[in-house]
Parts: sequence; structure tokens; C-alpha cells
Amino acid sequence: MAPEMSEKTQSSRATRLARWLVSGPPLLFLAVFFLLPSAIMVLASFRYPGEFGGLAPLFSTVPGVLHGLTFETYQFFFSDIIYVQVFLKSFLVALATTLICLLLAYPLALLIARSPKKSRDLMVLLVILPFASNFLVRVYAWMILLGPQAALSQAINAVLALFGLTPVHLLFSPFAVLVGMVYVHLPFMVLPLYTNLEKHDPMLLDAAQDCGANAWQRFWRITFPLSMPGILSGAALVFIPVLGMFAIPDILGGTGDMLIGNLIKEQFLGTRDWPFGSTLSIMLTLAVLAVAWLAARLGRGGKYYA
Amino acid sequence: MRRGWRLWAAALSVYAFLYLPLAVVVVYSFNDSRLNAEWIGFTLRWYEVLLHDREMLLAAGNSLFIALVSSLAATLLGTMAGMAMHRYRIRMLAFMVLTPVAMPEILLGVSLLLFFIQVLNLTLGMLSIVLAHITFSIGFVAVIVRARLAGVEESLFEAARDCGASQWQTFRHITLPLILPAVVAGGLMAFTLSIDDFVITFFTAGVGVQTLPLRIYSMIKIAVTPEVNAVSTLLMLLTLTLIVLASRFAPDALKGKA
Amino acid sequence: MKSKKQISLRQDCCTAGLCRTLGVLAGLWFLLSFTPAHAEDVLHLYNWNNYISDATIARFEAECGCRVVQDYYSDNEEMLAKLAAGATGYDLIVPTGNAVEALIRQQVLRPLDKTRLPNLGNIDPAWLNTPFDPGNRYSVPYAYTITLIGYNSEKQRALQFPVDSWAVIFEPRYLEKLKGRVTVLDSQRELLAAGLKYLGYSANDTDEAHWKQARDLIIRAKPYWAAFNASSYIKELTVGNIWLVHGYSNDIFQADLDAQKAQRGFRILASIPKEGAVLALDSLVLHKSGPRPDLAHRFINFMLEGRNAAELTNLIGSGNPNRAARAYIRPEIAASAAVFPGAAQLTHLEMLRDLDRRQRRVLSRIWTEIKLR
Repeated sequence: MAPEMSEKTQSSRATRLARWLVSGPPLLFLAVFFLLPSAIMVLASFRYPGEFGGLAPLFSTVPGVLHGLTFETYQFFFSDIIYVQVFLKSFLVALATTLICLLLAYPLALLIARSPKKSRDLMVLLVILPFASNFLVRVYAWMILLGPQAALSQAINAVLALFGLTPVHLLFSPFAVLVGMVYVHLPFMVLPLYTNLEKHDPMLLDAAQDCGANAWQRFWRITFPLSMPGILSGAALVFIPVLGMFAIPDILGGTGDMLIGNLIKEQFLGTRDWPFGSTLSIMLTLAVLAVAWLAARLGRGGKYYA
Repeated sequence: MRRGWRLWAAALSVYAFLYLPLAVVVVYSFNDSRLNAEWIGFTLRWYEVLLHDREMLLAAGNSLFIALVSSLAATLLGTMAGMAMHRYRIRMLAFMVLTPVAMPEILLGVSLLLFFIQVLNLTLGMLSIVLAHITFSIGFVAVIVRARLAGVEESLFEAARDCGASQWQTFRHITLPLILPAVVAGGLMAFTLSIDDFVITFFTAGVGVQTLPLRIYSMIKIAVTPEVNAVSTLLMLLTLTLIVLASRFAPDALKGKA
Repeated sequence: MKSKKQISLRQDCCTAGLCRTLGVLAGLWFLLSFTPAHAEDVLHLYNWNNYISDATIARFEAECGCRVVQDYYSDNEEMLAKLAAGATGYDLIVPTGNAVEALIRQQVLRPLDKTRLPNLGNIDPAWLNTPFDPGNRYSVPYAYTITLIGYNSEKQRALQFPVDSWAVIFEPRYLEKLKGRVTVLDSQRELLAAGLKYLGYSANDTDEAHWKQARDLIIRAKPYWAAFNASSYIKELTVGNIWLVHGYSNDIFQADLDAQKAQRGFRILASIPKEGAVLALDSLVLHKSGPRPDLAHRFINFMLEGRNAAELTNLIGSGNPNRAARAYIRPEIAASAAVFPGAAQLTHLEMLRDLDRRQRRVLSRIWTEIKLR
């Protein structure tokens, strides 16, 4: 593991120097542009908003000018159940997106993993390709597809009309938001699943077949439990970004589609309330950490299957 | 396989789900209708409009510049980070490299917004965008480089040292050639991420500098014409080229990033 | 995934390929960045989207030998937030009254040099000396819009819904026939103001109890609305998907123009509700950070000329405070009561005032409740 241990004679100083030369610059850069901003955000959540936006000063000798630190944003957050509801709603949307992604990704990943080695790379590339076109373009595509003039809406509403039902609006609805979320995040589920499924030993399935297990049993007793780590990492890769997403509800959503991301964006770019925006961001961070912790725990628990 | 066809059908419909929307975008970029609703007839008009859209071209220029500068810097820093993570196992570094990749983008966006304005007192613009893009790209490059290093036999380095090679010589003649494909793939990845990024740019751009995604966003929000489709189609061509290149250089690196 | 590949000649090809790609990209960028000429006089304008005619810009550019660069916003709050977030370098901004007030109090505006604005006399005195900038030390009225009701003439005739009251936006008894065919503005202040007006309060009422009443009114009507919308309702009206909107007078004018051009067979008409509505007077102001106050003054004076001022009204159907412009305005626009309201209607209109930080936070919570419930 550590080859330099064997010869820590003359070159230990050079080794130490090399160590800092290599790790120093990225450490420094990320400390300044990632750690420090995060700390600033924590501090900002305890401050007052400026009268016209931004933050009120930390120190001021002018009487009547609001300054210093406060818990008021946290009090405000917990003073009304509404903000907890926004979080719950975002969790529900993230959960639904994750489940739908899993449902769509599983057969595809399974097929790729069981295809001949030669064609696998191409099939994987075909999953990545659309994911490489601009994120907004992919969301915009659904604006066209779900629009009231598009074939999909027309067909659905024609069928509904046959039964005398009122026409539905696909665009600007929670449905549109869900479709957009799934579409944008699907590859994040396919790739880890595939990476996991590819490693499965086909002998296991053969053995199970010899013991008389049918296809259904073979899937639920062998393939599925073994793929648990892949499912979990895919779920984390889908769940976490969806939790903070604001652009998709913004573009495809209707009158009720407000998630945490939209709320945070509004505090910074609409209401001019940076402290409360920071508080919401910290709450989101905590939520993400909780999810990551849960996924890691489940993953550890799942190990005994393998 | 008896149930093979069912799997195939499911997988093919997922592929259709992935590609149909993009096909619609491309097809409608040739539609001779302003309203983007029904098909009227074939035209190249929107590409012509695009070519004369001064602000769109300016935004494209900005995007390219930002992507070039930030991906070069991120490749350098990310390669260093990947090597450091592989060799020295500094826990703090791994945390700082991987967290920005795993967090929802909006969090990095707003914290950088606060930081640039409150601490650096920086006017939001080109510089703030480039710095933000480097920050989120480092992690991707580092992960790809580290995955490559993990696949290399440790004995190669030992052999070099046994032959009396210095640290620098080992790096120059053994490590660098070995990881070069991953470095290139990482750089291309950083380039694509930067040119595509919307969320973080949205918060760190101020108003003076437009990038292509920001411009597309305001077009989608305000007035949708097939010009959006035209620019999307061209953008798809560009990223397509880059992806194909990246997969040429390091076929496993692309998979490794997940 | 641990493929142990040997070192091969392929790396050299890689390097060569990479160099070529980078070369091409760099070339592309240079090409793009040098197309617009450099080193010239540039006026930076931070404007509403689609709020000036291209022809006017082109004429001004020709006259001053300079270039006009525009950035756009679609909401005053967005503009104020971006400025608060440190956006600088704008010579001119076109804020609405309450935003002018906020900018003056923040002391980020440059006082006007009226000796450089000989055309200022063209402005109708009725639009000068507003409460947000007494004596017009900082602002020159540019155009105004009214937030009102827009509707599809054909559907209105068929369904016979009233258009002279906000009731049609808020009352389920009218909305039942219009379900999914109505949009309202995605603006906290505007929507709340409409609700407050319908309830008989001032649009600037800051009593939290009244806000909550308006909130409940909005939540009750929400299931019937198709979307909260910022500007794509123009297109939806034109296509015929949306029949009734709470929107800006100039947007509704635009939708009507588009519908006529597309020969849709219906008109998009506007009506000011009898309970009153919000009037937004947009003014040109000079930002302190702007490097070219000379060009900015020149631009303001240019825009005060009757012909140039009229061009905006003819293009987007905004109200015009410029007396010299009347002669150039197309007669059908000049006759429209939604663009040029009569004196009696003007008394029903109200300009929004700026909110303080506590009120902004409370309003944001009310808005969250509206969106979520």
C-alpha cells in the first residue's frame, strides 16, 4: 500500500516536498472556493438582511441600523409548518423520481450487462449521449412534447373526449415536472446499475436454474439482492440532485410546483433575503447529508447479501 | 434466453424515451413556424436568424472562453488532486474534492454568490464564473484520474524507483504517460460540464456576462422561437463530438465517472 | 473496471488529436469574439425584455457612432436583486416607480443633468413629479403599462364572462367555465395587488390580515388557473390555448397583434377592472457605476424625441407619457383605453411602493403558501 515505507532513508524529505507540491494547490483552491464559501453561508444565516438586499452590517455604530447576529431566520423557518411542507414535498418528488428511474433503468442495465462484450460499450455510450446535450435543451424538449398542440396531448385528450371527460393539460403540471426530472436524471441510475450488474457471475444463475429456480425466482433471489449496492448508489445520484433542483419546476411546473430549490432561488434573486436563503440552504445541506448517511448505512447493511 | 424479448422491448422503449425528445428538438429547428406548435414546412431560416443574433454569438463566445480556461485549470488541479488522493490518502482532500460533485448544484451556486460579493467584493462576471466552474470541475477530473491510477500495477512505480529514477523522472516517464488518457478525458469532461452548466452560472454570472445556457434559459422563459431549437441542435453536435473524442481517448474513464 | 492496459503509441495520437481539437476551439472562439468591433463607445442599457425597438437602437447607434449593449430582466425584483448582488457597469436602467424609489434610497443613482436634456419639456407634466422621485432629480418617464385583464374575444362572446371586474379571475362561479384556460402573473406583488384591489383595499396595503385575506382568495381560485406565468402567456393567448389572463397591457397588445397576423379569427382584448389596477411607470435612470453618463444623457434626450418615443408604443403598445409622440402613434393604439386610459380611469390606478425587509419576508411566506396549497 505504501511503497515509500520501505525506503524512508534519504528521500523522505523529497517525498514530503512532492506530497505538498501535488496536494497543496488543489487543497488550497478548494479551501478558498469551497470550504470558505460554505462557512460564509453558515455565518450569513445568522445575520439580518440588508434594507435593500444583501446583508445588514455585522458591526455598526450608527444608531438605528440593524446589525450583529441573530437566530431570527431559524425562528422564522420553524414558526410556520409551511417550510417543512416544502421540504416534505421535495422529498416526495425526489423519491418518486428515484423509483421511476429505477423502474426504467433496471431492464436497460440488465440488458446491457447480459449483452455480448463487444456491443456493451456502444450501448452504454447510447445512454450517455443524450445526457451530454445541454440540460436546458432536454427540459425544453419536453416543453414541446407536452405542449397542448403536440401529438401526445392531442391523442390523450381525444381519448378522454371519447369517454366524455374533460381534457387534461400535460404541460405546466406536477406530471410535467416528474417527467422532466426522470428524463434528466435517468442516466445517473443506469450507469451504476450496469457497473454492478456487469460484475455478476453468470454461474450463480446457472446454478440456481439447475436447482430448479424459475426466471422470476432467479431474479428476485439472486440478481436483485446482489445489485443492491448499484441501486443504492444510483438512488443517491438521482435523489440528491432532484432535491435541490429549481430549473425544472421553474420551466415545466404549474401553479403548485414549488420545491426547496425554487424557494432558495427566490430568496436570493427575488425577495432579496440572503440570510433566510442561507438558512434554507443549510437545511437542504442537512437533508442531503441525512440521505447520504442513510444510503451508506443501507449499503453496509446490504453487504451481507453479497 | 426465453424472456429475452421482454427485456429487449423494455430496453428499447427506454432508449426511445431517451432519444425521442431530442429528435423532436432537432426536427423542429427546421420548422417554418414561429410558434413552435404545429409543423408547417422545412426551412433553414432559424439557423440564419441564429447567425445574425449578435447577443447569442457573444454568449457562445463567452461560453467557449469560460469552458477553455476553466477546463484547463481544472484539469491541472484535478489531476494533482487525483494523484494526491491515490498516493497520500489525505482524508480532507478527498472530502473537499468529492463533496462539490455530490451536493446539489444550487448550494455551491449560492454559497459562491455570497462569497464573491461579501468577502471578495468581486463584481460578478467572467472571473467569478470561471472560478466557480473550476471549483465544480476539479472533482470530476480527480475521480477519473484516480480511477485510472487504481488500475495501474504498483510494481511499475517500484521498478522505476529500483532503477534509481527520481520522483520527477518517475512521474515524467511512468505516471504521466499512463494517466494521460484519463487526464485528457477528464479535461474534455470538464470542458463539457462547463459549457453546459446552468445552475452555478445562473448564480455567479451577475448580469454583465451572458453564457449560452443562460441565454437559452431566458429564451425558454420569455419567448420561445425555433431559434432555441437551432442553437440546441448545434450545441448537441458540439458535445457529441467531444463525447466521441473522450470515449476514444479513455473508454473506461467515461464509465468510471459514475 | 480495472483494465490494465499497457503503455502504447496511442498516447501520442491522443496528444496530437487533443492539440488539434483545442486549436479548432480556440480558433472558433477568436472568430466569435472578434466579430463585433472592439474599442468603440458602448452604452450599457439594463432594460426590460422587448422594451425598445431595434430600429430605434439602430438609429441611435448611427447618430452617436456608438454601440448599445442590452441586458434584460423580466421582473423589478429580479433587477433589484441582481443589482444588490453587485451587478455593475450599467449606464442606464429602466426601473418601475417602486424600484426607482428603492434605488434612490440606496443612493446608487446619478442625478440628471437637465441642461443636457433639452427635450424634457416633451413629457406631459401629469407624469412628472411622482411620489417616488419628487422634482424628477433622477428619473425621466419612459413608458407605462397597466396590469389588467386580457381575454379572447371569441370565447368571451361564447361564454359571456364579465371582463370589467377582477371577479372573473378570482370567483369560482366564473372560473368554472374557464378551468385551465386562465393564467395569472408569476409576480408576488402584482398578484397580491390584484387580490387586494378586488377585496377593496389599496394595492399598497401592508396590513398582514388583509394580505392573508388576499392569499385565501388566491388559493381558492388557484385550482382553476393553468399556470403562474411571466411572459409566455403572450404566445398561449395567440394560439388560443389560454382565454383569460391577468397580464400587462403591452403584452396583451402584443398577443393581439400576433393573433391578427396569424389570422386566427379572434382578437385579444384588454380591460381595466372597475375595482382599479396597478399602474407601472417605467423611467430611465442613470446608475452610478455606469462609465458613460455622457452617452446616457444623449440617449435619454434622443428617446424624448416624439418620433423615437412613439416607436416604442407602436411596437409594443405601451402607454406613452410623451406629448410630442402623440402625432406619430398609430391611431388604433391612440384610441385604445387600455393603452391611454381616460382621466376617470386614471384615478382608479395605483403605483406600487417598495416594501421593507420585514414585509418582503412575510410576503415571501405568503407566496410560498399560495404556491404550495
